[in-house]
Amino acid sequence: MTPTAPRSAARRARTAALSLLGLAVAAVWAFPVYWMAATAFTPGAGIRAATPRLWPHRPTVAHFSKVAADPLFWRAVGNSAVVTGATVVLAMAVALGSALAVARFRFRGKGLYVAAVMLVQMVPHVALVIPIFLTLSDVGLSDSITGLVVTYLAFVLPFAVWTLRGFVAAVPRELEEAAMVDGCGRAAAFRRVVLPLTLPGLIATSVYAMVLAWNEYLFAYFLLGTPDKHTVPLWLTHFVTTEGTDYGALMAGSTIVALPVVVFFLLVQRHLAGGLTAGAVKG
Amino acid sequence: MTTPEAPARARSRVLEPPSRRRTDRTPYLLVAPSVLVLLGVLAYPLGKVVVLSFQHWGVGQIFGARGPAFVGTDNYTALLSDPQFRTVLLRTVMLTAAMAGLSMAVGTAVALLMRQVPGWCRVAITCALVLAWSVPTFVSTEIFAWMTEYNSGVVNWALGMQPHNWYADATQGLAVATAVVVWGAVPLIAVTLYAGLAQIPAELLEAARMDGAGAWRLLRSVVLPLLRPLLALLTTLSVIWDFQVFNQIWILRQGAPGEDYYTLGIYSYVKAYAGHDYGLASAAAVLTVLLLLGVMVVHLRQIAKIGDTP
Repeated sequence: MTPTAPRSAARRARTAALSLLGLAVAAVWAFPVYWMAATAFTPGAGIRAATPRLWPHRPTVAHFSKVAADPLFWRAVGNSAVVTGATVVLAMAVALGSALAVARFRFRGKGLYVAAVMLVQMVPHVALVIPIFLTLSDVGLSDSITGLVVTYLAFVLPFAVWTLRGFVAAVPRELEEAAMVDGCGRAAAFRRVVLPLTLPGLIATSVYAMVLAWNEYLFAYFLLGTPDKHTVPLWLTHFVTTEGTDYGALMAGSTIVALPVVVFFLLVQRHLAGGLTAGAVKG
Repeated sequence: MTTPEAPARARSRVLEPPSRRRTDRTPYLLVAPSVLVLLGVLAYPLGKVVVLSFQHWGVGQIFGARGPAFVGTDNYTALLSDPQFRTVLLRTVMLTAAMAGLSMAVGTAVALLMRQVPGWCRVAITCALVLAWSVPTFVSTEIFAWMTEYNSGVVNWALGMQPHNWYADATQGLAVATAVVVWGAVPLIAVTLYAGLAQIPAELLEAARMDGAGAWRLLRSVVLPLLRPLLALLTTLSVIWDFQVFNQIWILRQGAPGEDYYTLGIYSYVKAYAGHDYGLASAAAVLTVLLLLGVMVVHLRQIAKIGDTP
């Protein structure tokens, strides 16, 4: 008993120190987000104060009202919702097929396909802006939401295929085989066994696709000309002008934009890392 | 006597024929849509970039007066003999090293820390990371711009140095950009590595501990080697993402970065749009891709291997 006492005291001290460090890490990562929300609630006069208050003094929703009063804001929210929804649904369907092929089949050119999928991620987006614009014009999809969805689809796919591959590979083959022995065809075995078990992966991957489509700025900026078609990130740039930035409204708008993503992230965060890691460590 | 073999044979009879007997078309049908999209939206435009890089494209070509003319490797020669391009290239490489290096180091440290702290603390860290993860780069860059604002930036206030202009000196300005990137990249890295750590069998660690391995030795000889594939993947992705960093610098400088802020991405963008020299900008883009390829070849093989083992 006695010899363990100092050791457990030392261990407690160590745990306390590490917890403190952990809290510091959490504070550093949460602070900018907190600061965004705090600024959004700070009245106009207080924002530019030389001594910032760490919590809003006499909080106001004036900045939020300003954002909500703009009809173009709601238009942008609608556009973003359509773009994001379409990107997520299409990306999941296409990526699941590919993930299945890579995780469950041997076929000629598989290594090449996997390498190519990784490779396309290396192409700098800035380099692709002009040619993608030209290509979309060729097929009559410039300045269109459809063109934007197709573009996002291409950017989501590499990561989505990779992640889903991990989830599919994590489903034991024996389960599928058992279903097939029991008389299911390959398609039925997939639908009844693999699909339900891959669902967490699909959710996690769709969050990734959602974040990309909801937050993307560069391509939306170049591909969409008409203000009617702008997505939320584009709409937000209205608050940044050459005369200065309306940080109150910008932070209020940003808070509204970030909110749906934060909620989804918190809901599915347990599954998020699974796909990247599945099979990568054990293999 | 045949019991152990019978199920295996039965299984192979049920399962193997469809994929072995003749060339199975299923996998090709399954990958076809993604191949189509990737070819149409990425490969075809990329091919266009390569062609453009061998052409002279200026204002005259854009407005259709004259067609583009092939000029051989003129664009590449012009680029490589331009001292500004060399400075930009060096800056991009250093910035990438700093961003990716810091992201990986901090991400790994946070993942290891998450293994050591009590549950409530881990939940706090996870929530903070997830919060940071879900913020769009556009938004996070604006937040950091606001936090480092000349007069009322909270960072200046906390450091007791207000007013302070972070952007007068490009080194400081790029340090802010690095902070935005690292802050945004650490959550993915930390959460993924944490999940990877959780997959390491406890017996393996226990056995090493029984053999007298200390914490440091355990980390170096057992944990990190097991995480190698994952670390390689995350490093590769970080380098790819950070090498093309654009948004953060562009937005921090409000769409008008000085030459001290040019990275390869911004350089080719400015050349293309302000200079209307698409040929030169495309050549810069092609060189960027080739450079990344050169760096990545080693890792790509490892990644292709992971992807190949189902």
